Amino acid sequence: MDTRRAFLRSLCFGRADDSAALVVVFLRGGADGLNLVVPEFEPEYRRLRPTLAVGKTLPLDERFGLHPGLEPIRPLFQDRRLAVVHAVGSDDDTRSHFEAQDLMERAGRPLEGASGGWLARHLRSKPGARGAIAAVAIGPTLPESLRGAPSACALESLEEVALPQASPAFTGALEVLYRAEGSGAGAAGQAALRLLERVNLAKEAKAPEGYPESGFGRSLREVARLLRADVGLEAACVDLGGWDTHFAQGPLFTSLVEDLAGGLAAFAKNLGPRMEKTLVVVMTEFGRRAYENATLGTDHGRGSVMFLLGGPTRGGRVVTRWPGLGEGALEGPGDLAVTIDYRDVLAEALEKAAGNPRTAEVFPSFNPTPRGLFA
Amino acid sequence: MSLSRRSFVAGSAAAAALGGCDQGYSLLSKRLSGGVPASFARPDGASVDPDFFLLQRTSFGPAPGDLDRLRRAGRAAWLEEQLHPERIDDAACQVLVRRFESLHFSPGALFEFKREVAEDELGRATLLRAVHSRRQLYEVLVSFWTDHLNVFQGKGDCAWYKTAEDRDVVRAHALGKFRDLVRASALSPAMLVYLDGRSNRKGKPNENYARELLELHTLGVHGGYTQQDVMEVARCLTGWDIQEGWGRGKVVFDPDRHDDGEKSVLGTRIPAGGGKEDLERVLDLVCRHPSTARHVAGKLCRRFVADEPPAALVDRVAARFSATNGDLRETVRETLRDLEPGPLRFKRPFHFMVSALRGLACDTQGKRSLRRFLERMGQAPFQYPTPDGYPEDPEPWYGTLVWRWNFALALARGEAPDARPGLRDLAPEAVFAHLAGRSPSEEERGALASASSREEAVALALSSPAFQWY
Repeated sequence: MDTRRAFLRSLCFGRADDSAALVVVFLRGGADGLNLVVPEFEPEYRRLRPTLAVGKTLPLDERFGLHPGLEPIRPLFQDRRLAVVHAVGSDDDTRSHFEAQDLMERAGRPLEGASGGWLARHLRSKPGARGAIAAVAIGPTLPESLRGAPSACALESLEEVALPQASPAFTGALEVLYRAEGSGAGAAGQAALRLLERVNLAKEAKAPEGYPESGFGRSLREVARLLRADVGLEAACVDLGGWDTHFAQGPLFTSLVEDLAGGLAAFAKNLGPRMEKTLVVVMTEFGRRAYENATLGTDHGRGSVMFLLGGPTRGGRVVTRWPGLGEGALEGPGDLAVTIDYRDVLAEALEKAAGNPRTAEVFPSFNPTPRGLFA
Repeated sequence: MSLSRRSFVAGSAAAAALGGCDQGYSLLSKRLSGGVPASFARPDGASVDPDFFLLQRTSFGPAPGDLDRLRRAGRAAWLEEQLHPERIDDAACQVLVRRFESLHFSPGALFEFKREVAEDELGRATLLRAVHSRRQLYEVLVSFWTDHLNVFQGKGDCAWYKTAEDRDVVRAHALGKFRDLVRASALSPAMLVYLDGRSNRKGKPNENYARELLELHTLGVHGGYTQQDVMEVARCLTGWDIQEGWGRGKVVFDPDRHDDGEKSVLGTRIPAGGGKEDLERVLDLVCRHPSTARHVAGKLCRRFVADEPPAALVDRVAARFSATNGDLRETVRETLRDLEPGPLRFKRPFHFMVSALRGLACDTQGKRSLRRFLERMGQAPFQYPTPDGYPEDPEPWYGTLVWRWNFALALARGEAPDARPGLRDLAPEAVFAHLAGRSPSEEERGALASASSREEAVALALSSPAFQWY
């Protein structure tokens, strides 16, 4: 009896191991890493950006300072729960959003054995059974990274996970039918019924507070509710769009930064000790040009930043192989070069935090370099 | 086929006069199809009925009366008829579908329509045909080749071009010659956009299409080609482009953009100066390659026979494919020839939804409001972004059960948007047998009896594990 229950539990709630759930925040549009985490030590920075340089930053270490809008997450850095990776990005130098996002979210090609998205391959290759909702995207559709993922769904809110028209007799009968089913569908059906029970409990609990009143804030709140409901969620995708700041970057950028930081801080606070079993990865398809353009904005560039928050992150550090902003150091038309591949970060996150030793199946054509990001 | 908008409108005026709206078309369609039969055969054995199994595999699920039709004709004759869709009167379905103007337009003329209209009409037509067509094997094959030669409507002009591609590539050749199918695909504006063939030019080759042609459309990923072959095929296919502006949508060959040097593909030399004939040489080489026969045969056997089909069967079907020079009618006939009940396959969401609509003889117009269930379950038509097409294995779809149950409840209670069941009075156990191809087990009988209403019992039959398989 106990073993059967344990078996079902592992099916329903997944993550019977200790691995962390991954929450991937994608900053769509190409976020300006140089103004998110400013290289204060870099004399070229203020020269290249006479109007757009961030006035007064919040020091992280002797070299880098945070955009003041990121103030809410600075304590997380000081508590060593948040790490920054700088001059990170893709080895592909397309500066097209569509292509760059696709490439990054697929992180490989079908010919190399990498069909679908990287998170989907992670979920497929990770040992152990999957729950009914192993992965969610908060939004209308699944992102590329989750293409082909088992047990993935797109949701706007937790309220959608329900059988509003079913009587108790109906769910009782489903229970009987799916318990008797021997195939993988039987386990999946029972897991789905457990999921509905769990979600019902979560709905009754008081909705968490403190999130920004924005789409991003609401999305993170829904992810937190699912994580707190213990439904076996292993990966969640949340988008924050609008980073394509070609024109009048200043005010636009600041409100995005505030939204980002407010959401992340509320999420960490809301999850509390659960953050030890949750890793938030913030990424973007590319950074922006080192110098500002004529319309007080920045054009598509290359290297940007990633944030890692929670789980076994060795926080309180800006991890970088700084390429420099000087003459000859910039890449192409004048971009911060990429010196750490984003897959180095993701592969290490999967292996050290998300409990997947089979990263070669997730990134089959890529040989990641460990960057010592996690304990 | 190219039509001006005005002449089309005049031509369809007669049909419109009969009702002028969805209801009118729906009434006319019902009159043509004869509606729901007063009584019809239902399997009553403890395991899945062999005739029912054949119907399940060669259709999107039996509708009331289908089993009688198959039994009246006999299995062999019925299958032969399905292999010749042009011999099947499909007026009841055509009445519902033909009125969508955009389906009749040439690639370039499709831009007369708003993007949403073009996408919506094709989406509606796809669902309506799957639900209402009597050419069910043909519709299943259309869906098969749609995945095989996947085009994502969301990429640029594919929103419009997919409509022409669906008609001129997939539907035109679904039971024709494999080489014609692949050739039509290669030269369709939709594929030239989707896999960047149009930007593949001399000196700046784009390998995207060449790679998928070898990896997905023909030889298969372990089919014995190299990265060098991909590059050489890409060179052969340089120069094909889509006209813009005047004559928009027309596929043209620009010799100046064609790499006319010598190439070597799969060990065969393609001499310099071949021009647009390079494409034909490549098609000959890849379509006749033994790996292609095995790749196509394997996929067909998986779809129609079992997730892991017997190797001997795959060999036999591959041999038939090769012997007939890729005749798809012959190849499919060979695949289905000795079909006997075997391991079941998990329905994908589209199949699940259509089989429910067919099983309950639903009146539907295939509207977006109904297709939203498909979006929720992750299988809306033509919305798969990567060229490998919607997955065939069950695991990616297990997570859709909650949404299937919600759809079943809404449909059975008559509350689904744009779908009203025509099968209304049959007892739940009989509905179950009709839907699952066998009588309910003790447990299933108990479950059906415990439902709080007839509608809920029908929803339970649709939600049961038995109905998720085919």
